[in-house]
Amino acid sequence: MTQKTKTLLERRYSMLGLLLIAPTVLVFCAVIVYPLVSAIYLSLFKIFTPTLEGTWVGLDNYRTLLAKGEFWTSLRTNLIWTVGTLTLQIIFGVGMALVLHQNIWFRSLARSLILFPYFISTVVAVLVWKWLFNDLYGILNHLMMSAGLIDWPLDYLGTMPNAMISVILVGAWKYFPFVVIAVLARLQTIPDHLYEAARIDGAGPIARFFDVTLPQLREVLVVIIMLRAIWDFKEFDLIFLLTGGGPVTSTQTLPLLVYKEAFALNQMGMASAYAVIMMLIMLVFMIIYIRRTRSEDS
Amino acid sequence: MLRKIAFNLFAWSIVLAVAFPLFWMLVTSVKPQFELFRRPPTMLPETFTLEHYWGLLTETKFLSYFWNSIILSTTTTVVVVAIATIGSYSLVRFRYRGRETLAFLVLFTYLLPSVVLILPLYLMLVNLGLSNTITSLVIAYTTFALPYALWLLRSFMAGIPEDLESAALVDGASRLGAFWDVILPQLLPGIISTALFTFILSWNEYLYALVLVNSDEARPLTTGVMNMLISSFNIEWSLLMAASVMMSVPLIIAFAFLQSYLTRGFGAGGVKG
Repeated sequence: MTQKTKTLLERRYSMLGLLLIAPTVLVFCAVIVYPLVSAIYLSLFKIFTPTLEGTWVGLDNYRTLLAKGEFWTSLRTNLIWTVGTLTLQIIFGVGMALVLHQNIWFRSLARSLILFPYFISTVVAVLVWKWLFNDLYGILNHLMMSAGLIDWPLDYLGTMPNAMISVILVGAWKYFPFVVIAVLARLQTIPDHLYEAARIDGAGPIARFFDVTLPQLREVLVVIIMLRAIWDFKEFDLIFLLTGGGPVTSTQTLPLLVYKEAFALNQMGMASAYAVIMMLIMLVFMIIYIRRTRSEDS
Repeated sequence: MLRKIAFNLFAWSIVLAVAFPLFWMLVTSVKPQFELFRRPPTMLPETFTLEHYWGLLTETKFLSYFWNSIILSTTTTVVVVAIATIGSYSLVRFRYRGRETLAFLVLFTYLLPSVVLILPLYLMLVNLGLSNTITSLVIAYTTFALPYALWLLRSFMAGIPEDLESAALVDGASRLGAFWDVILPQLLPGIISTALFTFILSWNEYLYALVLVNSDEARPLTTGVMNMLISSFNIEWSLLMAASVMMSVPLIIAFAFLQSYLTRGFGAGGVKG
């Protein structure tokens, strides 16, 4: 009898559980699952954006895009951007975290200042950097020239490779605070006796970093690198607003290509095909990350 | 001692270099137009003026964009956090089939690029006749805000000891009663930081606003301010910097008062994954 009431209670509980998750499931189906499926469906059509009239073309879009050079150059640009900015974010982020972990003056103020670029809008970041980069009145050219680094004002965004370097640098500036906070949180949990043991063994500061700190950070660094790789790979706002993909198409990554194809060239079907391919590429990273998180969970 | 001072100077020079663009934004916004083109540039404004702020509020559509952004971000935050709170409670504390799959789907969508969803969403919202409305943006923002909020709240929820709830149940509380009286107060810090993050995320969003809204009535700050840059004949940098400062004000307020909540949320969602 008790057994039976318990299962009844359990059944009522799982009913309640389903009821509580229902809004989430409904919204998910409406705004995520349905669009995702229709993105794949759209990619099989040729659609003119202003009229939204489409004709079935099957896999033709995919055949065209894989044969087109633009896809491959954009993929290459995308990888250069991702690897470049991610590397800087990690190096600078870990370095800054080590500095902020020390007992410096006004530490919490320093932390807030470092965090700020991450929280401001990309629009604000881009406006400010465009003003810094301004070729005639920008402070950056002025400082570099008075330091004797350059003789003539540089065009930071209008020529290559300057544009790519600038985009990568601004990306690193905007997103490295994420690495700082994550690493800082982990640094605070490394037990002191590990350092003392290393010191007794005669390890200097550099040896202590490589033998104690770095192995302890390994786990969190893997997670950060995967997350940031996914986010940097799909970054749209920053690049679009800074260069718009230019000069010509030198900084045009895949998200920008999707946008251009859909709203400038008015090829909605083709754009969907690009988006689907891009998602497939990202799926590799995503699955690795998700599997890792799940194994940690259990 | 000398080493300590040297290290401090080194640390602070990096911090100030990182913060310099933001300092420059502030300085530029209070300089009169003619002082901007001075060579060499003045590090601190010689003449202090608030004319750009005044001009921004009276001569441009900044205030209406600002208002749109407030409505948009607040609505998104309230809707998303409400759904995510009960959703995460269900995901963490109930047992039913498909629960694991759903948690997996949440994480998957949390990482999904928005350019994939934006094309079908655009078609869907045009067909529903919702294009150029704030409602369309609320719907679109749910696509990234809901997975994010669910993921954050899920880890906050997992941190609340299960015994608390069991004790309330033994005392005769119903499941929902226990949720209301025991779980919710415990979860409050988590809810606040999730709400803050969701608000910031919506406040800063650009791509959906660019694609879905093409009228000043519904345009939020991000695309509105960018429009001011593109449409003006000669770029008024101090006006744009004033706009940037004003746009960051809500974030600065959130930052100053709620820093502990922010770092907590950061630890829960960003790092633990």
